[in-house]
Amino acid sequence: MKSRTPRIVGGISRRRFIQYGSLALGTSVVAACSSGGSDTVATSSGTATGVSSPSGDGIKVGVLYSTTGTIAIVEKSLQDATFLAVEQINEGKGPWSGKQGINGKKIDMVVVNPDSNWDLYNQMAKRLIDEDKVACVLGCYTSASRKSVLPVFEEKDKLLYYPVYYEGNECSSNVFYTGAAPNQQITDSIPFCAKTFGKKGFFIGSDYIYPKESNRIAKAELVKAGGEVVGDEYAALGTTEFITIINKIKQAKPNFILSNLVGDSIPAFYKQLKDSGITSKDIPIMAYPTTEEEIQAMGPEFAEGHYTSFNYFQTVDTPENKAFVEQFKAKFGPDRVTNGVMEAAYFQTFFMAQAMEKALKEGKELNTASLREATRGQVFKAPQGTVKIDPENYHTYLYSRIGKWKGDGQAEIVFTTEAAVKPIPWSQALYKGRICVHQAPDKRSNPIVETNKDLAVELLKI
Amino acid sequence: MIPHTISIDHPIASIANSIIYLAQSPTVKEFDLISFANQLLNGLGIVGILLLTGLGLAITFGVMRIINLAHGEFIMLGAYTTFVLQSTFKMDLLLTIPFSFLFTAIVGAIVELTIIRRLYGRPLETLLATWGLSIVLQGVVKLIFTAQLKYVKAPPYIRGNWTLFEAGGQAVQISIYRLFIILMALLLLALTAYLLYGTPLGREVRAVTQNRDMAKCLGVNTSLVDMATFAYGCGLAGVAGTVISSLKSVAPPMGQDYLVDAWMTVVTGGVDRLIGVLAGAFLIGQSNAALAYLLNDPTARVIVLAAVIVLIRYRPEGLFTVQKRG
Repeated sequence: MKSRTPRIVGGISRRRFIQYGSLALGTSVVAACSSGGSDTVATSSGTATGVSSPSGDGIKVGVLYSTTGTIAIVEKSLQDATFLAVEQINEGKGPWSGKQGINGKKIDMVVVNPDSNWDLYNQMAKRLIDEDKVACVLGCYTSASRKSVLPVFEEKDKLLYYPVYYEGNECSSNVFYTGAAPNQQITDSIPFCAKTFGKKGFFIGSDYIYPKESNRIAKAELVKAGGEVVGDEYAALGTTEFITIINKIKQAKPNFILSNLVGDSIPAFYKQLKDSGITSKDIPIMAYPTTEEEIQAMGPEFAEGHYTSFNYFQTVDTPENKAFVEQFKAKFGPDRVTNGVMEAAYFQTFFMAQAMEKALKEGKELNTASLREATRGQVFKAPQGTVKIDPENYHTYLYSRIGKWKGDGQAEIVFTTEAAVKPIPWSQALYKGRICVHQAPDKRSNPIVETNKDLAVELLKI
Repeated sequence: MIPHTISIDHPIASIANSIIYLAQSPTVKEFDLISFANQLLNGLGIVGILLLTGLGLAITFGVMRIINLAHGEFIMLGAYTTFVLQSTFKMDLLLTIPFSFLFTAIVGAIVELTIIRRLYGRPLETLLATWGLSIVLQGVVKLIFTAQLKYVKAPPYIRGNWTLFEAGGQAVQISIYRLFIILMALLLLALTAYLLYGTPLGREVRAVTQNRDMAKCLGVNTSLVDMATFAYGCGLAGVAGTVISSLKSVAPPMGQDYLVDAWMTVVTGGVDRLIGVLAGAFLIGQSNAALAYLLNDPTARVIVLAAVIVLIRYRPEGLFTVQKRG
């Protein structure tokens, strides 16, 4: 005998649970939108810039990173790196020493938080452009979020500076890609794996566009290098249970694992792989998204002996990098580490600032056309070395490096190109001879050119 | 693009996606007995985690009918308790278990006192309030510890693998830590069953859930019983957090991963019986493991979720519930 009829209670609590759950989710999105999702950020001058800047003489720049939700761990660090660069530009410190702001004007950041929700990125981008009237936007991490905002930037003809290595196959005249194109990360690492570890590769990744595309390119590269793909597995974004995939790895007995897992999945996979008795001596992992940040989070002993292919490591030996690491730790704490994505978020802010400076010096008004024209071909002494925005395809000349993780969570660099490598947005293993050439300043032109020949590796000559 | 997160977003799209997967990938690969035996053992590892995370819910929802959407955050609090104790006092993970139980139970008691108590019998409001609470708890933890990932270490004596037997150069083995999780979960299940069915306090708890007014008339302090029960459920979630924490990294949103899984476990098994959690965990964990082995992980998740939806449609009471007279 029950005082409450279980059928009704049960009905509400279980069957309607899903309805209520989605209702609640919907409410959260509405709440996030209506609150505007703006963080207020104390800029160097101590004033708060939030939704709009009252001073009106600064240059407004949108900063679009999630500080909450599943991807916040990474994007927060990108935001930190951006804040550091803007502070240095505004106060004339670091690489900007001897100057004050951009021709005396300060950068006013409009900081929004899309809460790791791809749809919100789109709305926030609209808001930054329409309501806040920003000159350009720095931001996005995942390809899913970039694809979500891309139509907004193209339709409204505004610029996005995007700091992340990505799967390529894109060439928008509204985006400056300052992270690695496939040929600056995948093309060098796969032959390295085939030569150093053996022919059999097992590919894993998180289940969304970047890892799948990136693995597709890597698989083609491996076949091209005479290797064999013995496994290809994906796990839902945020999965932390890898027992099945590890079992399949044991069954397939590969020579190496190529990992494109992102976010919270990385520590879980490395830990569970080691716990299952597979060490880096048995089967090394070559990863793209595993950086200093994730390794610090999981404990360095789990990553020791595994590899990452990236343009930058904290251990890169340049005076610019020493200064960058020092300044970053001074601002955000001595226990923080720097990584390649943060480095790109940092130097792309200087690309933007140099371009703005150039446009203003030439007496032009700051708009998309003048900023695009001024950003093409910009050169900067970044922590990783001298980098340059390719004037043809708006990607960036970057170094290609491979690091082997040591017991202290830092990388020993085992491979590096002599200079920055010219970016090729399309994987040559999949689309032979396809390149991208923007006919500036006409943004509507179709930039894709089919050359149908093998492209040589070009290095940056300064 | 819809990532296959375990949130309940667009089941139709997920199913459509998974059909595309099935069409694309070479699904059923060569069947290898040793690997499959390994996979069944691995399935037990998944079962252990489901059982551990579902236990607390079996109390708060199964016994008390509270829809607690902050269940995952109590798991997260347990993990952070371990992290704090380990980083400040270098404490062994096993020794932190009682502390995380106590801490999350105290937080649970405060939550019951301030929020849940005012919402008994109003499931929708409880759902919204606890969902808000989950956001608040995540926010508070983020303020204190930042969003950076933290990590805890498992003690060395429960690392490594236990090999059952070897055949043809391949070993059938299970990780010792997973074994520890299963044993821990079973131990807690037994303890909970004893408390609920073998002690006077348990009798009072059952009396209150069956007929609150009558229990009150007979002199049971119902509000105290409510508080103790809810706190116990939250404490169990805290223990789950501690045990899971060394398998992954500790971060504010970590509990979200387990919320839906724990719900599925409890609801599938049937909420009236404690044994239902065990059955639900076993069913979901093993079918997930087997399907993931034969197909792939995201597809397995979708199929299991769809199966659970169908099951609840035809057996809203879950599998292990005595059919009542309507």
